[in-house]
Amino acid sequence: MNKKGLYLIITLGLIAGYSWLAYILLRETPKHHSMPVCFFKNITGVPCPSCGNTRSVLTLIKGNFTDAVLINPLGLIIAFILLIFPFWLLYDTVYKKDTLYKSYLNFEKIVKNKYIATVLIVLLIANWIWNIQKGL
Amino acid sequence: MDSQKVDMYIMSNAKYFKSQQLNYIRERMLAMDDSKWGMLQSVELKDPTTILIVSLLAGGLGIDRFMIGDTGLGVAKLLTCGGLGVWALVDLFLIMDAARDKNMEKIQQFLA
Repeated sequence: MNKKGLYLIITLGLIAGYSWLAYILLRETPKHHSMPVCFFKNITGVPCPSCGNTRSVLTLIKGNFTDAVLINPLGLIIAFILLIFPFWLLYDTVYKKDTLYKSYLNFEKIVKNKYIATVLIVLLIANWIWNIQKGL
Repeated sequence: MDSQKVDMYIMSNAKYFKSQQLNYIRERMLAMDDSKWGMLQSVELKDPTTILIVSLLAGGLGIDRFMIGDTGLGVAKLLTCGGLGVWALVDLFLIMDAARDKNMEKIQQFLA
């Protein structure tokens, strides 16, 4: 993946993420009337590893840190990305640098490490089992 | 390199690359030294059809992106339930060419 493509995808992702949050916050209907958007959950009836991330981020916005972790810890990562990446992107475009791109490549290299990947996968599956138990 | 060898490689591996790249690969291989043949054959190429099947079954979890080596995008897809299902759907059409591009990247280092 080249730099331009990555920055385009990140920008689109951030726009989509913020519009999604705005839509959830601004809509009038209460939560329990809506069908879940998650493809996986609609088909299988079992929550996917990242189900509940929206709820987690929303809880975090209201300032309730522990509840956010209890709903889905992955929501913290998403909140962090949504918060940091716009500034990072802006910094790179204004100063014509590629710190974000380099970090992305570095991140890919680290995650591909056998041991780190194994630990992360185990953590993710544990989180998934927890999700299913909670019945998100 | 021997043109018969090159044509054999192209014929048996055509499905792994985009059709417009095949001519370039053939030309580069003809100009290549014979000693690189073994290395070129040992490159593991991902079958786009297999990736498409994985994308159909587990695209929402980003497994297809992990498999072709796009780890960063795979993580992004996993964290967002396959981009709320939209990205997973779009990827059904993009993933085969993405896999072919990755294959091209893999053999590029020997061709150059």
